[in-house]
Amino acid sequence: MRHRKNFVHYLILALIAVAVLVYITPIYWILATSLKTLSDITTKLPKFVFDISLENYQKLMPSEGVPGVTYLFLGEVVVGLLLFGFFSLFNVRLPRALSLRNLGFIWNSFFILTCLYSFLTLPPLRSRLQTDARFNFLLLIVCTIIAYLLIVPWRKTGGLTSQTAKKQRLTLVLPSVFGTIAICVALANGGSKYFYQLLNSIIIGGGSTILAVGLGTLAAYAFSRFDIAGKDDLLFFILSTRMLPPVVVVIPIYLMYSALGLRDTHFGLILLYTTFNVSFAVWLMKGFIDEIPKEYEDAALVDGYSRFQTFLKVILPQSVTGIAATAVFCLITAWNEFAFALVLTEVGGRAVTAPPSITSATGSTGMDWGKIAAGTFVFLLPVAVFTFLMRSHLLRGVTFGAVKK
Amino acid sequence: MLTNHPHQTSRGMSDYQLKMAFIMPTMVLLILMNIFPLLWSLYLSFHRYKASMPAAPRFIGVRNYSRLLADPEIWGYFQTTAYFVVLAVAAQFFIGFGLALLLNRDFRYKGFVTTLLLLPMMLSPVVVGLFWRFILSSDNAGLLNFFLSPFLNSPIGWTTHPKVAMLAVVIVDTWMWSPFMMLIALAGLSAVPKFLYEAADVDRASAWFKFRWITLPLVSPLLLIALLFRTMDAFKMFDIVYVLTREGGPGTATETVSMNLYKLAFRNYNTGKACAMAYILLIIIVALSNIYVKYLNRVKGEEAQET
Amino acid sequence: MKSVRISLVFVLILALAFVSTSKADNHQSLTIVWAEWDPANYLQELSKDFTAETGIAVDVIQIPWPNFQDKVFTAFVGKSDLYDIVIGDSQWLGRNSQGKNYINLTDWINENIDVASIYGPAMTAFAEYPKGSGTYWALPAEVDAAGYVYRKDLFEDPNEMKAFQEKYGYALAPPKTYDQLRDIAEFFTRPDKDLYGIATWYSKEYDGITMGFQQVMWSFGGAYGDADTHKVAGHINTEDSVKALEFYTDLLQFSPPDAPNYYWAETLGAYNAGKVAMAMNYFAFFPGVLNPESNEISHDKSGFFIAPAGPKGHYISIGGQGMSISSYSKNKDLAKQYMKWFMQKPVQEKWAALGGFTPHKEVLQSDIFKTATPFNEAFAASFPYLRDFWAVPEYAELLEVCQTNWSEAISKIKSAKEALDAIARKHEEIFEDAGYYDE
Repeated sequence: MRHRKNFVHYLILALIAVAVLVYITPIYWILATSLKTLSDITTKLPKFVFDISLENYQKLMPSEGVPGVTYLFLGEVVVGLLLFGFFSLFNVRLPRALSLRNLGFIWNSFFILTCLYSFLTLPPLRSRLQTDARFNFLLLIVCTIIAYLLIVPWRKTGGLTSQTAKKQRLTLVLPSVFGTIAICVALANGGSKYFYQLLNSIIIGGGSTILAVGLGTLAAYAFSRFDIAGKDDLLFFILSTRMLPPVVVVIPIYLMYSALGLRDTHFGLILLYTTFNVSFAVWLMKGFIDEIPKEYEDAALVDGYSRFQTFLKVILPQSVTGIAATAVFCLITAWNEFAFALVLTEVGGRAVTAPPSITSATGSTGMDWGKIAAGTFVFLLPVAVFTFLMRSHLLRGVTFGAVKK
Repeated sequence: MLTNHPHQTSRGMSDYQLKMAFIMPTMVLLILMNIFPLLWSLYLSFHRYKASMPAAPRFIGVRNYSRLLADPEIWGYFQTTAYFVVLAVAAQFFIGFGLALLLNRDFRYKGFVTTLLLLPMMLSPVVVGLFWRFILSSDNAGLLNFFLSPFLNSPIGWTTHPKVAMLAVVIVDTWMWSPFMMLIALAGLSAVPKFLYEAADVDRASAWFKFRWITLPLVSPLLLIALLFRTMDAFKMFDIVYVLTREGGPGTATETVSMNLYKLAFRNYNTGKACAMAYILLIIIVALSNIYVKYLNRVKGEEAQET
Repeated sequence: MKSVRISLVFVLILALAFVSTSKADNHQSLTIVWAEWDPANYLQELSKDFTAETGIAVDVIQIPWPNFQDKVFTAFVGKSDLYDIVIGDSQWLGRNSQGKNYINLTDWINENIDVASIYGPAMTAFAEYPKGSGTYWALPAEVDAAGYVYRKDLFEDPNEMKAFQEKYGYALAPPKTYDQLRDIAEFFTRPDKDLYGIATWYSKEYDGITMGFQQVMWSFGGAYGDADTHKVAGHINTEDSVKALEFYTDLLQFSPPDAPNYYWAETLGAYNAGKVAMAMNYFAFFPGVLNPESNEISHDKSGFFIAPAGPKGHYISIGGQGMSISSYSKNKDLAKQYMKWFMQKPVQEKWAALGGFTPHKEVLQSDIFKTATPFNEAFAASFPYLRDFWAVPEYAELLEVCQTNWSEAISKIKSAKEALDAIARKHEEIFEDAGYYDE
């Protein structure tokens, strides 16, 4: 009996391995193609052994050479990760003057200063097609400050519990996250079309994800906790907006955006992708908030919290898992959207995202598969990393309220 | 209900204000970006109008609709779409659910393996379509034909043969979206209480019995929601046929309604007619989803009664 | 610690305020939009001289061919001011002049440009609408024609020549007629050696199969329709057209397996990979054939010939584009300055030397041009045979119908006759809707 059970277990593991192999092969093939030279790509039979070449990735870089600050930011990304890893693995006692908290503060300040330095010293991009990419450094500075303050609140709280130590370690990795974006900014400003579009994707995908999840959570809370006239109909209405095929609404939105001058702007696309995702976010978050016991709130209300404070202090911390799962889905949708981006942006324009442009890689010798593969792979990385970090939330977050506890 | 707390007005916003402040942004956004454009396109669908020409819309009644409904080719596109939806969603459902059943146990690197399997879903459909052109090629370095070559005499014309092309689209779409099914099914499976299985084991129930009477009923509501989202998305599918089979080729073998609509609207600029067609599509999808949601609610209702 | 932080934030805000008030330098620049291909790179290169002379920066934006038309038109309908100069296909003239997307250049051209110096048929094809009216909407920028490249090493191999002579009874040479083309394609088709006879355009994207097939149709005696009455039935669905379409479908068996998807990039790719003996493409794409980096196999062993004649005539698909100014541009004067500069003879000579197909009559006939590339001679020989698709404002719809039906015909979803009948019916419907038959 025991033997049989083991056998079944290994059989299942083998099946899983086969499935992973089948699903991963095309992605491996993208990676492999991106590392091949042209003559290795256009062979009659697929070539599995080849000399690794980085020429396809070089095609994504600015033609006038990589700006120096790129390496500076790359260094910061690496150092940030190393610091984070070091303090997570080893329990080091730092002298009081150089506490973890101060270290994080200094490290972030240093990052902000490098951003400011890049902003002030880099030459502007000499093209009127693309908005000045340097201003994104300022945006990054603001984002870093906000993220820092969200993690480590301004006023001093309590002693050195493990919770705050964990948070303070987290500030060490902030410059790595924003430094990656800073690299994109530096390369975009250096004249790389690819990184300019990647930057657009980051701004539009990130902006619309934050908005959609935020709005969705608020609406979901209201739908979950309050009496609302015609609640079911309203919810069906919200769902039904997701049923609209993009091509159905794209015509009037195209005309509307043209009239309002919103075509080919970041704001226009953020608004649009938020609309797409908000219905999904409401449904997912409502299912999740429904399952948070009402007694928690009642207790808080009795303690003298206002309803809004209750939402902030009780509901939000409880729904981190749902928010993370929702964010993953919203990001994936906005990050990869194609039909609207095709119609609502201009080739070579200000707000063009990466998906419509990765596909335009025909060189003088036909399809440049190597460049397409390289572009695809770099484009996949941010979402893949984000999903990987959120993986533990994904399974518990996607319930739609249909899972009984 | 919580809404009737006596002392709420003394602290900050009242519940009513809070409710409005929480719902309104979403509703305003949806009305502005969905309802308003929809009304506009309803207006245009009764007019002869080309957005590319300076002439103003001219009212022509239901001519756009009658023309479209009388055109046998349009129904061909609807058939193609229906064919795709049924094949792709069914394949994704069974494969995705099967994978979830396999993964629903503890083993090492489970989180990593799950993320690996989710990778296809994170790619942009248009990039997937483009790159699969390369993988499905029968000219050079076609990976799939290479793996199949021991079993076949000549390479399959995945994107060139009219009978096979749809299958190619289904394969690509399934590769991309069965992980979504898997994820949601896995979420449902991992929420099934373990003690139910333990109780069944005590009764020496068969594996099939446990699956049929414990797993399936508890997972089915979530599966149905996943099916709903996949069906709606499959109806809208545009990106993959746009690039993989080059605008719905060969011939019209993979020309879905969305693909045809894109051409009608943004190549021919038959704006009025395109709006009419969009409405026909919309009515079909809303009707289908409505039936679906009703069914879903009934299943959920039965669940509630059983437990 | 706290005071340090506050002062730091304060400094940051000050710095932000400081830099946001300092404006970016205002320089003049011009944006040209064209399709993604080598000539656009040449134009970018050529424009450096313009920038050096005037200080005006020039960006040449390249849109991939499959979405070229769609993207430019969505920009037009959206009244985007992003593009100043549009280098658009000849067929666009009707639509963009009627749709008021191009500005009328007639007066400006008559005052500033020596029209006599421009090759006449090019002026008609790329600048004038309606034809013969003397109203200009563009200046020719790139004159182009469909042509063929072939593998000299195969065609001149003594063994091949002998075998061909024995099998077909005449000498192996670049084909003069479509019958010969078929024989040669059949002769070189050897799937076991991964060699095929011919690669030509069959794709459903943009204008792929139409540009490839229409020249065969014309040469076999078919036509799109009557240019005056716009009647289509009885012109396009004749016995001749059916024969032409069957002939074109038949060529598929001598083409690589993916041929039904071939557009310019795939055709070029197949030739460069050494898969085919002959390939049809527009001449402007052929620099990719001669480049040793993209074509390792036959860059120095390629010959060129003009599209063959059919049983009832000799016609070749016209290509090439004219330079127009977008009505929504904010730099119309700069654009005119650029176009005037572009039409000067020395600039045109440099354009030709870079690899551009100049519309300048003298330069076109000069030795500079004929010897600039190995294919310019064949290209110049094609001129008398050029013909164009409909150039009416409804051309995009007409093209769409042709693309779909011909694609269905070559993939045998419809018979040749059914496809052509369907095109005739749909074309007349489009013309009727547009009011061509109201008298």
